[in-house]
Amino acid sequence: MITVLFFGKLAEIAGAKAELQAVASTDELLEQLRLQYPALAAEKYIVAVDKKTITGNTSLTDHCTVALLPPFSGG
Amino acid sequence: MERKPKNIFTQGAIDPAFIAESIAKHSTKTDIGGHSIFLGQVRADVIDDKKVAAIEYTAYEELALEKMHIIREEIFSKYELTCMHVHHSLGKVAAGEICLFVFTSSAHRRAAIDACNEVVERIKTELPVWGKELFEDETHQWKVNR
Repeated sequence: MITVLFFGKLAEIAGAKAELQAVASTDELLEQLRLQYPALAAEKYIVAVDKKTITGNTSLTDHCTVALLPPFSGG
Repeated sequence: MERKPKNIFTQGAIDPAFIAESIAKHSTKTDIGGHSIFLGQVRADVIDDKKVAAIEYTAYEELALEKMHIIREEIFSKYELTCMHVHHSLGKVAAGEICLFVFTSSAHRRAAIDACNEVVERIKTELPVWGKELFEDETHQWKVNR
């Protein structure tokens, strides 16, 4: 099971948390999410796997936590 | 021993009395010659005739604290600081209230001033924190940092 966390505006689109079964990579996961939540396609975000931001496709193992982070706006 | 990241988050606005107390606590550290303080305050921007009443902050707390820990270590290795304190609000902060408090101290002013500036900039660009601008009519938009 892969846990997906959504933050900021993305949490309004997809909810704060989702759980997905049997996804092998972040590309596959994002593809599934875009099918499920078409509004995600228009959003900007970076992806973190187990709290490390990634730049390219990354393979996932069971119990991974993937976070979708829209542009930061703290302070 | 690895140090556990310090918590920087406070629920709601940062009380000016807490800031005053925080300054007062440093009177025992007599090697300090200068403090630098940045206070972020929620602005009542008007966008399309609607006024911002408050900002509601959320964060990926675990990641934000880890990142802040790294920033802290890098700042301490770069500048001759005596100490540094960072407090950021979560939840709702009304216009006019304080949402960010960065406080650096050093023997000579330059290190405190430069470190404070750099920490504020890095907080804004590197910490996974999001501000939702709540308008008076209860609609909202997501804040964009400039």
